[in-house]
Amino acid sequence: MAAALLSAESQARRRRVRNSAILWALVAGAFYLGFIVLSLVRAAQ
Amino acid sequence: MADAHAHDATHEDHDHKPHGWRRWVFATNHKDIGTMYLIFACTMFFVGGAMAMIIRLELFKPGMQFVDPQLFNSMTTMHALVMIFGAVMPAWTGLANWMIPMQVGAPDMALPRLNNFSFWILPFAFTLLLSSLFVPGGAPAGGWTMYPPLVLQNGASFPMLIFAVHMMGASSILGAINVVVTIMNLRAPGMALLRMPLFVWTWLITAYLLIAVMPVLAGAVTMLLTDHFFGTTFFTAAGGGDPVMFQHIFWFFGHPEVYIMILPAFGIVSEIIPTFSRKPLFGYEAMVYAVASIAFLSFIVWAHHMFTVGMPLAAQLFFMLSTMLIAVPTGVKVFNWTATMWKGSLSFEPPMLFALAFLFLFTIGGFSGLMLGIVPADYQYQDTYFVVAHFHYVLVPGAIFGIMAGVYYWLPKWTGKLYDQRLATWHFWLSAVFVNVLFFPQHFLGLAGMPRRIPDYAVQFTDWNMVSSIGGFGFGLAQLLFPYIIWKCVRSGAPAPARAWEGAHGLEWELPSPAPYHSWTEAPSDALIAKGASH
Repeated sequence: MAAALLSAESQARRRRVRNSAILWALVAGAFYLGFIVLSLVRAAQ
Repeated sequence: MADAHAHDATHEDHDHKPHGWRRWVFATNHKDIGTMYLIFACTMFFVGGAMAMIIRLELFKPGMQFVDPQLFNSMTTMHALVMIFGAVMPAWTGLANWMIPMQVGAPDMALPRLNNFSFWILPFAFTLLLSSLFVPGGAPAGGWTMYPPLVLQNGASFPMLIFAVHMMGASSILGAINVVVTIMNLRAPGMALLRMPLFVWTWLITAYLLIAVMPVLAGAVTMLLTDHFFGTTFFTAAGGGDPVMFQHIFWFFGHPEVYIMILPAFGIVSEIIPTFSRKPLFGYEAMVYAVASIAFLSFIVWAHHMFTVGMPLAAQLFFMLSTMLIAVPTGVKVFNWTATMWKGSLSFEPPMLFALAFLFLFTIGGFSGLMLGIVPADYQYQDTYFVVAHFHYVLVPGAIFGIMAGVYYWLPKWTGKLYDQRLATWHFWLSAVFVNVLFFPQHFLGLAGMPRRIPDYAVQFTDWNMVSSIGGFGFGLAQLLFPYIIWKCVRSGAPAPARAWEGAHGLEWELPSPAPYHSWTEAPSDALIAKGASH
């Protein structure tokens, strides 16, 4: 029972770590693309 | 405890201590990776320092002596890139790798393989950048700010510069993601956010800054690349583009970058001053909020770097006033450090000496920054040696002294040995004296009108340039003591106790010295966390 609980807790934490890493990578990607798009829009004006 | 076991179950891959070259090439242990970052940063510090010596040698007297103007400009450009991206930032990441897991009660960084990848990008990036010294046309020479159209006139080194900057940026972003994910997910139970050591707090905020602004730099240099090779005209006026827009984008990255280099030093000083004052840090929560405020304000001050390009009066006023505003949270920090020392039982071991020098000299850099932030005054100071003096006061006795303070503070914990404090004190005094001989006269030169980034100058600037160069050579030579002290400590230092400094608090001091290869495999108890909290 304890082992199963530990495993579930471990699984949940792995998921949290992976999801937050993906989230912050997406944020970084959004800043990268966002500024290029911003420059394109400004150039189009 | 349960968390620690759960961690073991999920990280079998680096549960043993590898040997030989595999330990370093395939490193996933945060201490090994931290050590590699620190060795890399130290190497780059001496490479960038050698370039600074060439600059000061050429400027020792007027006229052209040793290098041609092209090489001189390459040296100023490469010195900046190497020191910022090769020395200061990797040193902070190394310290973060070593200390954050130990300070928050985690067994390792959350993403160990990513950690390995972040580090190993760097040697390739800098090999690429430094090898540009040997290509036709020479190394980049248009300044580390890479302003177009000048940068677009670079020869074969241009794509090397752009690719190297992309790699450095990717390394920083991955390292920052790792720090955020570790702090937010792997803190020991009971390590609440407002119980974390200030070094962890400052690094958390630094990591958010990195995630926000390094991609902006990457975007800017990608656009430079497409302008150069693919016919776009983002920054080319002839095609309808705007070179000033590059400056806006660059400094949207560049000003937070200054705080990326200085905030972890705030954290280290906030650890060291209470330890050697034998008092809790004054105003812990105010310090956390001050760091967060500085980080926020760093996003809305960028145009103070470019007042003279021409902008509406309202914009000048906004950026001037927002710049002034940064003095408020910075003042909170300086006064809180001073209040921490007030009526404390002070002692002046090397980490404390470096922290105190940081306090005094960084404040001088802050004051000259305020002067530069005043629009009409900036029109006089712009592109003079006053600017050079200002940012070197912020970055050398600021960031570099902060790193040295941190290394001297935690070295006994890392190596399990005590270092030669007499030699380290010599290192401090030589550094503290020569850094002022080097940079203080540059204020006078700037106020007298000497422009920056020139290999030759009018004769009336000779005397202070000679003084500055003598300071530079002295400072450079003094730094040779630093690796020697570390080498001597590792080879023949006396054994260090777990708590190397009598007044030290924090979870890292609850571990034996040297810290075991796998620390906190069992999460620390709440009582231990409470005991470690110095506030």
